[in-house]
Amino acid sequence: MRLDPPLAPTSQHTIGPFFPRTYFGPTDNDLRRRTAEAEPSARGEPIVIRGRVTREGGEVCVNALLEAWQADAAGRFAHPTDPDAALADPDFLGWGRAATDADGNYRFITLMPGGYAEGNARRAPHVNLLVMASGLMRPVLTTLYFPDFAGENAADRVFTLVPEARRRLVLAVPEGEGMGEEAGMRVFRFDIRLRGAPEEETPFFIE
Amino acid sequence: MLIRSVSRSIAPWPEGIEPQVPTEGYAGTFTHTPAQALLRRPPSRTELTAPLTLADKLACGDDSLAVLAPGRIAMGQYIHISGHILDEDGRPVPDAVVELWQANASGRYYHPNDTRDAPLDPNFIGNGRIRSDANGRFGFFTIRPGAYPVPSKNNWWRPPHVHFSVLGPATLSRLVTQMYFPGDPMNQYDHILNSVPDPAARERLIARQLPPHEVGLGWLGFTHDIVLRGRAATPELP
Repeated sequence: MRLDPPLAPTSQHTIGPFFPRTYFGPTDNDLRRRTAEAEPSARGEPIVIRGRVTREGGEVCVNALLEAWQADAAGRFAHPTDPDAALADPDFLGWGRAATDADGNYRFITLMPGGYAEGNARRAPHVNLLVMASGLMRPVLTTLYFPDFAGENAADRVFTLVPEARRRLVLAVPEGEGMGEEAGMRVFRFDIRLRGAPEEETPFFIE
Repeated sequence: MLIRSVSRSIAPWPEGIEPQVPTEGYAGTFTHTPAQALLRRPPSRTELTAPLTLADKLACGDDSLAVLAPGRIAMGQYIHISGHILDEDGRPVPDAVVELWQANASGRYYHPNDTRDAPLDPNFIGNGRIRSDANGRFGFFTIRPGAYPVPSKNNWWRPPHVHFSVLGPATLSRLVTQMYFPGDPMNQYDHILNSVPDPAARERLIARQLPPHEVGLGWLGFTHDIVLRGRAATPELP
């Protein structure tokens, strides 16, 4: 059934400064786990994505909420919109949530996403990041790419939508290997500047 | 295999519904709102998808904010807020994760960053999370939140409101919003509510109170539907 005219979507508002800490579970920022108790999927390369969220002037944003969403290591989504959904990694969720700490830092653990074909084009491996914060009336959406896939990035229709001079702002920066819980995992830094000059503000998208 | 009706097309936001940013009177929006133009891209697979099993990851089922535990009852006016999560075609959105959080009756949040000198209620945390049922329905038992001042030069108070966070079947249907109470004289002064240009869209952020004789003696009832972005891709046969 299609309504004519359609209902209007409910207006967005800021998440405010007080999104409850009590909502977070210890594995919410681990995209590899389907449930809080589940073992992480091992079908792919485990990686760490971490960074800092700042606003105008480079001041840090505390208690900002970040949500990450990506394809599995083979580039599939467990969702009927993906023609290959039936082949998606059954142990991989692909979604995670993190809040920034007092220094504006966040962290996710995930698997390196795969690229995939969509229509007659290829999408490079990427992670979607949604950021919500006090002072942001609407969430902002950006897409993180990896320097490992320069050729695929150059052919990706979203990466190439970003003006050339700002493309480095959607590229995660390798920071070597993690320690402790992150031992053996490559670490990528992805800082997010909500507002700034063109050469510092993270490119954000709208659909 | 996942068998579920999901929205397969998402249109740009209609005029007048999205808040105007930066927002007059709300200083933080002038330092947080992106200064560069947002890059418009057509929705593709990665934005039209989201985890459909999220309710298995985020513990759902806590719909009682008013009663923390047996015998631990919050201070305030007991209310019940219910409604439907719908898409733009009015179809119910089942299995959406619906989060509601709010201040206590004194207008203070149970949050380390809320350091205002107003009492905390030892029996009120103020957050719940449920999953919408097969008809897209949700409901929470809670208390009417208090108003609170916003530290700023312009003597701004937030009217009583509850926050909703809804995680539906697509990244682009993700919604964070607030719900207001009907008839509150402070609604007209709120910089956040007033950031929505279309008066009809503002009106839709205000709950409707149910006639008390229909609800009974336990609670005051409010109803509030939430519409997520997204439509069926093609007309379906009748």
